[in-house]
Amino acid sequence: MNLWKEFTKGLIAENPIFRLALSLCPALAVTSNVYNALGMGLTVMFVITCNNISVSTFRNVIHPKVRVPVYIISIATIVTVAMLVLEAFLPVLFKELGIYLSLVVVFAIILARAEVFAAKNKVIPAMVDGLGMGAGFTLGMVTIGGIREIIGNGSFFGYQLLGSWYHPPLIVILAPGGFIVIGFIIGAMNLSEKRKKEKMEKTAAAGGNI
Amino acid sequence: MTHTDHNDNSMFRITLNLTLAAFLSGVIIAVVFYLTAPIAEIQRIKMKEQSMKELIPEATSFSPIQGKEEWFKAEKDGQLLAYLILASEKGFDGHVKMFVGATPDQKVIGFKVLSHKETPGLGDQAFKPKFADQFTGKGYQQLELVKIQEEGKITAVTGATITSRAVTNGIKHALVELEKYLNESK
Repeated sequence: MNLWKEFTKGLIAENPIFRLALSLCPALAVTSNVYNALGMGLTVMFVITCNNISVSTFRNVIHPKVRVPVYIISIATIVTVAMLVLEAFLPVLFKELGIYLSLVVVFAIILARAEVFAAKNKVIPAMVDGLGMGAGFTLGMVTIGGIREIIGNGSFFGYQLLGSWYHPPLIVILAPGGFIVIGFIIGAMNLSEKRKKEKMEKTAAAGGNI
Repeated sequence: MTHTDHNDNSMFRITLNLTLAAFLSGVIIAVVFYLTAPIAEIQRIKMKEQSMKELIPEATSFSPIQGKEEWFKAEKDGQLLAYLILASEKGFDGHVKMFVGATPDQKVIGFKVLSHKETPGLGDQAFKPKFADQFTGKGYQQLELVKIQEEGKITAVTGATITSRAVTNGIKHALVELEKYLNESK
């Protein structure tokens, strides 16, 4: 039950993109369509999980003074291995993700989870945390990618949704569109949270009156 | 952290720790590379051959042209069908690398992009049939890019003029090079 909690916290409550506001760079750069966003999300999910396992396994051996360089080495190794394997066995996907893959090494969310969670927890919870955070990241990426692709290109996952009468605003697909969409989503999430809080306070106050 | 050792913070231990981590990572990468490199090489050749096959489906063999890097002759039963030329042209972001297919009398058959960094969903529209089919059958003299549709000319993709230009220029240069090469070898 506890493990389930570790998993789900990454989806909404501590969503890496919308709540922790980490790794906004890929959330802007790789979300102009759903396909790329999903590919990037799954890649990050894989790397973050492997890295959490690796950091958690070696957490008692790693010297605290050099822990950050060691984490980075671990992430870089996993990414390189993933690239080599993809190149050999899934060359088409490798071609699609090629330029973004090497960037995964410096994504803040991966190092953050190693430092905040994996270094202090046992292997299984660390793995689950990685999976959950990766899933939350993927969810965020696909949400942004979906909105941008539908508005900016009139299609979803490559399928044309809107007819030729629709003239998509190009800005949504270009970088500024990414900022705008992420801003609106974070704003909406904050608003709903505020509403929820007010409601709770109201019911608490009402309860006090009676 | 479980470090309670007195000498725990000595320079030696810290260095050793980092060195071991780097060494371990090096060994892992080396082993994986050793195992995957031959497979990746085969895949690379396969992908290149596949993109050549897609351009000239009738051809049965592709032989490299002497003295030219990444130029190929597409042949069927010893008969020359087409030339395949690797072109690289600066696009919106980095170079667009593509194979240009041309008939022996220097008309465009088509092109196939090998690698690019154009904006997804925008620049890459210039690699889709709607734009790409305009080139078929044209010689380099006819390759002129316009923004508003005009008979006999290439119409650029709306919002992706730079990528359209890169493709057009890449094909043009490839054809000019081809003519030069054919004149020299005559």
